[in-house]
Amino acid sequence: MLTEIEIQGIILRALENVNEELDADSKVAVGADTCLFGSDAALDSLSLVSVIVDVETEVSTAAGRQISLTDDRAMSREVSPFSDVHALTAYIAALLAETV
Amino acid sequence: MTGQLTLRGEFVDLRPLAFADAAITCRWRNSTRSSLLSRSAAECEAQAAWIASRPASEFNFILELKDGRPVGMLSLVNIDQTHRRAEPGRFLIGDEAAVRGIPAAVEAMKLLYELAFDRLGLLRIFGTIAADNNRMIKWQKYLGMREEGRLRQHYLVGNGTFQDAIVLGLLADEYRAVALPRMQALITAGRSAAPARHNEAKAMTC
Repeated sequence: MLTEIEIQGIILRALENVNEELDADSKVAVGADTCLFGSDAALDSLSLVSVIVDVETEVSTAAGRQISLTDDRAMSREVSPFSDVHALTAYIAALLAETV
Repeated sequence: MTGQLTLRGEFVDLRPLAFADAAITCRWRNSTRSSLLSRSAAECEAQAAWIASRPASEFNFILELKDGRPVGMLSLVNIDQTHRRAEPGRFLIGDEAAVRGIPAAVEAMKLLYELAFDRLGLLRIFGTIAADNNRMIKWQKYLGMREEGRLRQHYLVGNGTFQDAIVLGLLADEYRAVALPRMQALITAGRSAAPARHNEAKAMTC
């Protein structure tokens, strides 16, 4: 079972991967408080997809089961999982806590 | 067929590329960010001539936010109604800062796919991406495209080197089963995560 710290580490690595693809003046500040998508967000939709793909892949590998971050349930949450790193971390932790 | 079509979305509109867009598209195409794209007109005069020479069989669009700001470009070209296929391309977000937090790119792609598959009745779209353009390849694959091959040293890119191209394709049933739900999910994410900014944009267009 991944801890929240480990999940957050995966998200932060995904953000670092995005930065490797961006120009120096477009790089995003990477941290636990980074806003992902929405008002004052760091990412455009291309970069958000990059984060989603990397996080889904790494979390699924580490947890030994497939997770999806863009299914109907994620999109219907009152607080979007993509509002910031904290929200995405909490959402993934909740997904992994569910019994399969 | 006409290329003079405006496609309206929730966050962005796609309106026809015009002669007056030469300066801004020239600036976008020659920015550092575009170094992974194939080479294009270096001078704005050449860009204007290129725009003027676009055939009516192509759809060349400017992405505009709902407040009218141009933020990028996107095309549907090589439309073949016999074989029912076409090539999306010339996709570029020129103003990255303006689209942060907004599902502009994904909605633009959704509007283009709707044009290709739903309005034109195509069965297949395909395209090539420079092999080093990892973010775009990842994006297209997430949105349903499948890798179909590799063209060696296919592009002369902005830094003067030749690069392989990755060939990607999407069939109509894959569009409906994979691409459309994922694009809709990303748009929903943008809607739910950005109520303030989105409402502001809507208010500016009312």
